[in-house]
Amino acid sequence: MSEKRIVIAGVSTRWGSELARTLQRRPGVGEIIGIDSTRPTADLGRTEFVEADIRNPVISRILPSLEPNVVVHCGIVWYPEKGRPSRALHDINVIGTLQLLAACEKTPGLEALIARGSAAIYGSAPGAPAFFTEDMARRFPLVTRFQRDIGELEGYFDNFARRRPEITCCMLRFQVEVGPGLDTPFNRYLNLPVVPTRMGFDPRLQLLHVDDATGALAAASLAPVRGAVNVAPDGAISLSRLLRLCGKTAVGVPPGLVGLINRRVGDFLGSADLYRDGELLLRYGRGCDNRRLREEIGYELAFDSEGTARDFARASHGVQALFPSPRPGSPVRSVPR
Amino acid sequence: MNRPAAPSPELVLEWASTVQSTSDLILRRLTGDYHEDAWGFDEEFTETVFPVFEFLYSTWWRVQVEGAANVPGHGRVLLVANHSGTIFPFDGAMIATAIQKEHPLPRWVRAMVLNWAFDLPFVSYILRRLGGVAANPANLGRLLEEDQPVMVFPEGQKGFGKDFADRYRLQRFGRGGFIEVALEAGCPIVPVAVVGAEEIYPKLGESKPLARALGSPYVPITPTFPWLGPLGLLPLPSRWRIEFLEPIDLSAYGPGASEDRSLVFDLSEQVREQIQEALYRGLVKRGPAFL
Repeated sequence: MSEKRIVIAGVSTRWGSELARTLQRRPGVGEIIGIDSTRPTADLGRTEFVEADIRNPVISRILPSLEPNVVVHCGIVWYPEKGRPSRALHDINVIGTLQLLAACEKTPGLEALIARGSAAIYGSAPGAPAFFTEDMARRFPLVTRFQRDIGELEGYFDNFARRRPEITCCMLRFQVEVGPGLDTPFNRYLNLPVVPTRMGFDPRLQLLHVDDATGALAAASLAPVRGAVNVAPDGAISLSRLLRLCGKTAVGVPPGLVGLINRRVGDFLGSADLYRDGELLLRYGRGCDNRRLREEIGYELAFDSEGTARDFARASHGVQALFPSPRPGSPVRSVPR
Repeated sequence: MNRPAAPSPELVLEWASTVQSTSDLILRRLTGDYHEDAWGFDEEFTETVFPVFEFLYSTWWRVQVEGAANVPGHGRVLLVANHSGTIFPFDGAMIATAIQKEHPLPRWVRAMVLNWAFDLPFVSYILRRLGGVAANPANLGRLLEEDQPVMVFPEGQKGFGKDFADRYRLQRFGRGGFIEVALEAGCPIVPVAVVGAEEIYPKLGESKPLARALGSPYVPITPTFPWLGPLGLLPLPSRWRIEFLEPIDLSAYGPGASEDRSLVFDLSEQVREQIQEALYRGLVKRGPAFL
């Protein structure tokens, strides 16, 4: 079998760079080409870089010329930031994906298309299944802007998969990621000196370790399966317990103040627009089933939700905690399984 | 001189160990060093609040139990019970307590809880820690697959919020979704009849404006609630009787049987009738409600 040529769209994102660095160490991987609109800041080793914007129709000429066997779409952005409001997000996520799909249509020899999507499509609701399986998307109405974007792009993705059955199209739905050194609104939220939570609610969360996130993405890129796959850890942990493990002080915010506080905190975390997703998540939580990931893609998760929490606590302990836990020895243990 | 006798060394040691284990527990809770399962059930928390349920069970409601051994000690099983309570689902708590106290091989029973309970502050996570799970077929099927004992209240809100005048009259059993899941899982069904829970908060009516103001699905009015404020939340000390009936074996039907609508409705009706009959029997056996 010849070596596979892999194109990573959105290689300058943390996820794209990490994937490139992981894949180039694996056997059976040929040339790796990264495309993005900005230069990657990380050192990508033997990965080639091509500057191209997936929102621009020119991508339909560039992608076929790269002759990829596998395209991995890492350009889906999860949260708006300063200078990238949610309207721009819609552009990148929906229009960008459409353009990339159009380019894939014109690429002969393409065997697999993998997209790094989000489990946010399931939403967070009080009566939700405790473990969403892949066929349960859209069971509840899509309420947030980000959720609708993800829903729309998954729709395009499904259409493409139906039109081109010879291409293995795999949509990965990632749960919330946590890990030392990760800079996302949720990680910044956990690093606040005093963490505001919604009074009377204690969501049940699944925390995907960053290492598992990269590992699962690499595993799916090399052995994709058809359809959607949840990338979620085993088990779940409640927010209160997570904060206690991290030695954080949680402050319950009464319902009348939640909107105001969340907007302030959202601004502070640099994720004002997406806070609606975060707000629902931090109220009702969300759990996903990971049997397809473990059994069909065959990825062995290194951390369960509790292990991720303990690893995160160990890394952040003493640096960020304003009020250290009463027994500083205990949260330091990490339980990788 | 009559000095009080010094406590024996054994007693002092016992006190010391109690103090130590309690402070250990508190420290472990505060540092997050405890276990929750994937559903959010927190066994240590449940065991800590269990004495409250024990008090309600033995002293407050003087619960009598019949047929606890009908609940299998191993493997998946679905307990189906009549529902009442008006304010708090104490019937579920007492079924779980009955199994803890009367069953030779006690297990913690998971409860399928009305969805809106998970939208209520505090109630949402307390229920989850005690083993409550949002009621939907996906959750029920998965719990049974994990070989857990689960209880459902097919009457749902219709039973929970029924008027005092309708007490012990079983309401409609939904669409029989619980039968479908049980057929697929091939698990036995144990019908449970709870007598006594319908008198703890006699519901006289409900207040729509108050419900709207509180954002709650409904606000009941009882002789004591909301007139006496929080004191009105104190349940009346009725006398209870819980009967676990003979298990109904569904494994013979095979997993395909869940598609058969008429079979599902027949089985659902059969379970409903058994519970209704047991309720009438239980009411006679129990005698007066409060004495």
